[in-house]
Amino acid sequence: MRVELQHVFKSYRHNGSRLPVLEDISLTVAEGEFVCLLGPSGCGKSTIIHLIAGLERPDTGQILVDGNSVTGPDPSRVVVFQDAALFPWLTVLGNVEFGLRMAGLPAAKRRARAMEYVKLVHLSKFAQAYPHQLSGGMKQRVAIARALALQPEILLLDEPFAALDAQTRAVLQNELLEIWELARPTILFVTHNVREATGLADRVYVISSRPGRIREARPIAVPRPRHAEDPTLLAHQHAILGLLGEEIEKVFREELGETVHFPETQHAVPPDQARGMHI
Amino acid sequence: MALTPKGSTFLKPLSALAMLYVLWEATALAFPQWPSPRAVFGVLWRDFGDPGFRTALGGSAWRMTIGYVLVMIVGISSGVLLGRLPLIDQVLGSFAVAIHAIPGAAWVPLAIIWFGMTERAVIFTILLGAAGIVMVNTDTGMREVPPLIQRAARTMGARGWRYFWFVVVPSAIPKTVDGLRLAWAFGWRALMAGELLTSVNGLGQRLNQVAKAGRLDELLAIMLLIAVIGIAIDGLIFKRLEHAVRVRWGLAP
Repeated sequence: MRVELQHVFKSYRHNGSRLPVLEDISLTVAEGEFVCLLGPSGCGKSTIIHLIAGLERPDTGQILVDGNSVTGPDPSRVVVFQDAALFPWLTVLGNVEFGLRMAGLPAAKRRARAMEYVKLVHLSKFAQAYPHQLSGGMKQRVAIARALALQPEILLLDEPFAALDAQTRAVLQNELLEIWELARPTILFVTHNVREATGLADRVYVISSRPGRIREARPIAVPRPRHAEDPTLLAHQHAILGLLGEEIEKVFREELGETVHFPETQHAVPPDQARGMHI
Repeated sequence: MALTPKGSTFLKPLSALAMLYVLWEATALAFPQWPSPRAVFGVLWRDFGDPGFRTALGGSAWRMTIGYVLVMIVGISSGVLLGRLPLIDQVLGSFAVAIHAIPGAAWVPLAIIWFGMTERAVIFTILLGAAGIVMVNTDTGMREVPPLIQRAARTMGARGWRYFWFVVVPSAIPKTVDGLRLAWAFGWRALMAGELLTSVNGLGQRLNQVAKAGRLDELLAIMLLIAVIGIAIDGLIFKRLEHAVRVRWGLAP
């Protein structure tokens, strides 16, 4: 399914006044494309995910899925949240079954399909475990399996790996790519990690903050599997960091109420530092 | 000796009890009219051998069981109803809170007018004294589904009765269990008040009889038993249940 945002504006009430969050966002994601939304914290990228999921409504502008306006949540557009948001009272299998149960699938069929996806994320041994018994990475795997079990045509991932350690994140990124190549859902992946965005996406939308505006849509035409040291990737990362350097400064200024000067070298970091650079 | 956390949970209350015992023994020595612990435990031991006392104890246990089952049924179902139907909640909610604010003992006179000095009056007292907290907690629990859980459920197609049954109801369970634990304590108090003021054969009435007969040692023995049963049921059943639920729901480590 193709996702399209046309001139979307969104603001929230804040101390009686309206605080603009998104300003004139227009973007297109082709069917089966893997797109990353990259921006500093508070740039409204999660709001874009919520709008596409139908959890929130734009002030003005259109959100279209295959040309039809989004009016509410639908299991064809599933969200994976940063905090996994598992149901604590259900086992791993129970969580993965949840959406299928909501769709009214008979128990045996439901269980069989849920088990497939539990296996896909390598959690067969933990099918009967409860979320409180799992590590952060395992919880996020369950969240992904739970979303995939619905066989969604659009998968919306809201900083799904942000709270994980570097190794776990790398493993899950690879698993996500494998799954994507198998089922080819349209993916919108929100992150504030430059390396993650360039490593995963066909295209990266760089978003500025307060209010969120699209600064650039950058195609990453590097074949997969991608190597971390690939010079083209590194060039993309440097370009994005350069573009966002001023943005980061702006965020700091607003949050800390003082001017923060980044030394020149910050914008031209050596490759091994740039790869892990969070913005 | 280094105390493990497990050990200290037993040793701390145990040492507190030992101190209490010593204090009690000392008081009894200083004031001869105050019964010593040995005298009280002796009376308690004799009471357990007395069939009349055992009947009273069994009667109290039976009424509490019936009363508590009714508390669960009425409290949970009315709580679910209030949580499900906002209109009813707005109309009857404050009425429910008012009922909840009346202590169990205050229901006894009305219970006696309606049911006479009977077992039913006692059970009615337990029900009115304890169902309110279960209802209020169930209702609150159903209103406090975490926003993230709500969003996750909605994006996966949960709506209508399925959303209610598979998301709202399980979300409310920790709060409901809190209510059930409190209801045990409230119900136990209400039982004693009911038995004290009616002529039903139970621990409460026994309390009344020995007080009128001026038997201080037996009065203390029965009060001690009432406290021990209250603490034991709470510790062995409700505290454990509450902890298990809190762990599963990720609310306690």
